[in-house]
Amino acid sequence: MKISYNAIAQLLIALLVIFVICILINNLTLNLIKTGLGFSFAWLFRPASFALAEHPLPYSPSDSYAWALFIGWLNSLKVIFYSLLLATLIGTCVGLFRVGKNALLRIVSAGYIAIIRQTPLLLQLMFWYFVAILGIKETITSPIGDLLSISNQGTNFLGIKLSAEFTSLLIGLSVFTSAYIAEVVRGGINSVQKGQWESFRSLGLRESTGLYKIIIPQALPAILPGLTSQYLNLAKNSTLAIAVGYSDIYAINDTIINQTGRPIEGFIILLLSFLFLNLLISNGMELLNSMITKSNNP
Amino acid sequence: MKNRYSQIKNLKRVAFSNTVDSIVSLIIISIGITTLLTLSKWMIFSANWSVVSINLPLFLFGSFPNDQLWRPGLWISLFAIFSLITILGPQWSWLRKSLLLLWISYGPLGVFLLAGGIGLSSVESQNWGGLTLTILLTSCSAIFSLPLGIALALGRQSTLPIVKNLSSIYIDVMRSIPLIAVLFFGQLLIPLFLPVGLEIDRVSRAIIAFTLFVSAYIAEDVRGGLQSISRTQKEAGEVLGLHPFQITCLIILPQALRVALPSLTNQAVGLLQNTSLMAILGLVELLGVGRSVLANPEFIGRYIEVYLLLAAIYWILGTLMALIARHLEQQLTLEKKDL
Amino acid sequence: MRRIFTGILTFSMLLTGCVNSSVGTQSRLELIKRRDSLICGVSGKIPGFSFLNRNGTYQGLDVDICKAFAAAFLGSSQKVQFRPLTAPERFTAIRTGEIDLLSRNTTFNLSRDSSKGNGLIFAPIIFHDGQGLMVRKSRKINNIEELAQKSICVGSGTTTEQNINDAFESKSLPYTPIKYQDLNQVVAGYLQGRCAAMTSDRSQLAAAKSGFKNPKAHIILDDVLSKEPLAPAAAEGDQLLSDAMRWVVFALFTAEEKGITQSNINEKLEIARSNPQMKPLRRFLGIEGDLGEKLGIPNDFVVKVITSTGNYGEIYNRHLGPNSKVPIPRGLNKIYTEGGLHFAPPFN
Repeated sequence: MKISYNAIAQLLIALLVIFVICILINNLTLNLIKTGLGFSFAWLFRPASFALAEHPLPYSPSDSYAWALFIGWLNSLKVIFYSLLLATLIGTCVGLFRVGKNALLRIVSAGYIAIIRQTPLLLQLMFWYFVAILGIKETITSPIGDLLSISNQGTNFLGIKLSAEFTSLLIGLSVFTSAYIAEVVRGGINSVQKGQWESFRSLGLRESTGLYKIIIPQALPAILPGLTSQYLNLAKNSTLAIAVGYSDIYAINDTIINQTGRPIEGFIILLLSFLFLNLLISNGMELLNSMITKSNNP
Repeated sequence: MKNRYSQIKNLKRVAFSNTVDSIVSLIIISIGITTLLTLSKWMIFSANWSVVSINLPLFLFGSFPNDQLWRPGLWISLFAIFSLITILGPQWSWLRKSLLLLWISYGPLGVFLLAGGIGLSSVESQNWGGLTLTILLTSCSAIFSLPLGIALALGRQSTLPIVKNLSSIYIDVMRSIPLIAVLFFGQLLIPLFLPVGLEIDRVSRAIIAFTLFVSAYIAEDVRGGLQSISRTQKEAGEVLGLHPFQITCLIILPQALRVALPSLTNQAVGLLQNTSLMAILGLVELLGVGRSVLANPEFIGRYIEVYLLLAAIYWILGTLMALIARHLEQQLTLEKKDL
Repeated sequence: MRRIFTGILTFSMLLTGCVNSSVGTQSRLELIKRRDSLICGVSGKIPGFSFLNRNGTYQGLDVDICKAFAAAFLGSSQKVQFRPLTAPERFTAIRTGEIDLLSRNTTFNLSRDSSKGNGLIFAPIIFHDGQGLMVRKSRKINNIEELAQKSICVGSGTTTEQNINDAFESKSLPYTPIKYQDLNQVVAGYLQGRCAAMTSDRSQLAAAKSGFKNPKAHIILDDVLSKEPLAPAAAEGDQLLSDAMRWVVFALFTAEEKGITQSNINEKLEIARSNPQMKPLRRFLGIEGDLGEKLGIPNDFVVKVITSTGNYGEIYNRHLGPNSKVPIPRGLNKIYTEGGLHFAPPFN
């Protein structure tokens, strides 16, 4: 008797969901007919007729919209990948400072986390771009020659030229995500039993050696899931590139929607490209996770 | 004197215990002082704060009718008053007990004060703006997304396969889309999904989009809380002869929510910050007002001042929210102990 | 399961039927009157055309055109609501009926006018503009050729972006476009030295320049990259509304041509009333004939418009005239009798 009650409830819910979806699709069709928008992807193969400042692969305005979108996707991937590395680096450092011995460093890193986490990323990005990077009036060169030089035209890092837009997006995303990663790292390290610290100290190991050889390997399993979700957040946040003039998938999609007047199709493309990106990141992290668990338990 | 000495000694212990530490500390201190000096020098001598002082009403209330400014003004002051009561910890227990209720009613009260009705002249939502709109978007989206998030979390834990799968699909898909895409959907596509003749105004569409997005994240936080509740709780409820519905609502959920409260707070602060994305989609909330003000020929190029002001406002609001949540949390645990 | 699905399909088709029959072919103008309020889409971020002033109200040429429409349709320039829209939003907003009409610095061109394009219908051009380039004097750049290989700041997703590309591509000049979402970001990027030049409609360049700390340090190049005729627009297929819009704009031009202004409108009205032989003036001001009724709006719409906003020249001078914050020479935007392009067919 109980089972049949459940079955009916489920059927009703399923019906309701299908019903709502049907109504929505029905409305959409009606509206598309009424407004004469229609639904088609044929425009994807027409020439885009806009130029792009950054393209990892050859691109010219006479290439198709589809190719422009792919370039945008690659641009997104590029900034996500580098920000991911930089954010992990900064985040780990700040996280370690946060639990470290130097009290001043502890305070500074706590302040850093508080400031970064309590202001909107969009505002931070605009600050990094319009104020910090574009505000550089003369080229700043690092003490060690050609290693790194920054000007308001972009960055030159080991002979690789990066645009000002990419640089500020990279810094903005990395700094923002690093504050969250720092908290993940801190949580992971705190999850390691206090006894572990005492034991390596009593063995006479140096603080840093103990940290890298004993504490971090044990903290990693607790850190990785948090890290994955921060990486996914970073990927999603990279769409704010539009605020600093970097041509990522969202920005290009936005331009195309404005040119073609096809918001539905554009939105679907955006969704698909993000589902794919997410799969890429979460699978990559899973691979990393399994590698680490394997090396931990040989 | 002795106290001063011990302070110095303490400082030495925590920051200058060895050479590396000392160097690092000195570098930090010098960088900190230089930054502070440059910033304060700029803020006092180079900055032109007229862009802020002249447009202050705009930043606070948007283009709300001038003769009705007391309404958003009252609402924002109430936010300050509520915060003070919460943080200072009221002496009166009746007030303490109703604090949660007070905060829950804050959003609807705002809608009433802004939109009008029952004795107040009605004001269209496109006149709402600035800080008022930011707080409104945050509080309304939070109020709607909490129950939806809880429902989704329970759905995902459900034994009914269809419910479980539907909730899971919704949560996973929503969590893989960037917020700006959802907001884009809200502003540009929702009108296309409505029957002809039915219109939802832009502020409501933004709230719908935020609710759809945030509830998926809340669902995961609540699920974490639910998983932390041991099975014995449920069994105890069953022994008492409670209905499964009663067990969930009266025993499991309150505990799960208490566990999830810190992450829910983070969601709320995140929500506040994310309302700034509406500036990209054309609403004149806090950041949107900032961008509009910068288009006024009188204030072109004054963006550093505007960004600094906005950063300060968001930071203060975010910190305040975190503080409030912590105090609410403490009071909730207090009540638990009282029992 | 299949039966259920068919059932749902039938139901939704029924729903379709209901909705279809209830919509009919009602004009937006009727809806505006019933609502007693006009919803007008503006940019809200373009100096001189539409921006939020310090009192929290919108101000500018585009805004006043909306007010003129409201005065004509509803008798009061106060009965208008402004919706700030981003560039990609504007066309969707008008097609879904979220706004009644668009007065948002929109370029009139074939793609936007055609039903297979953006599906708009344009009122007469209210501002003749052309795309230009602004550079720093110190850069010593005199024409577009000298901008080869340089970065150019441009607003994304607009005709501006396509024009700059056409201009450079046709001369086979390579360049780097730095794209921003709205004009004040383009200005910020340019001022901070990210780009050698910024491009936009020349009016917007002039507007931006007038707000700079040192306007003399920047020049607008003589190259005009495109024609940018800006016009208000409504959704296609609404003859009643677009006719009314068209003749309100023509009324603004005609009033300037006839020398009727905000300050002398009552005087003119008196003269027209007491002189039955002044037929054209009487028709124009709605004292005799039924010109307004033919459009579906009050006969005295011209009087209402001029009383609340003044004629075209007055609107122009208020926002873009020599004494305004954003002075732009009138040039092509003079009335045709003074050598400009603004011309109105007769009010007969």
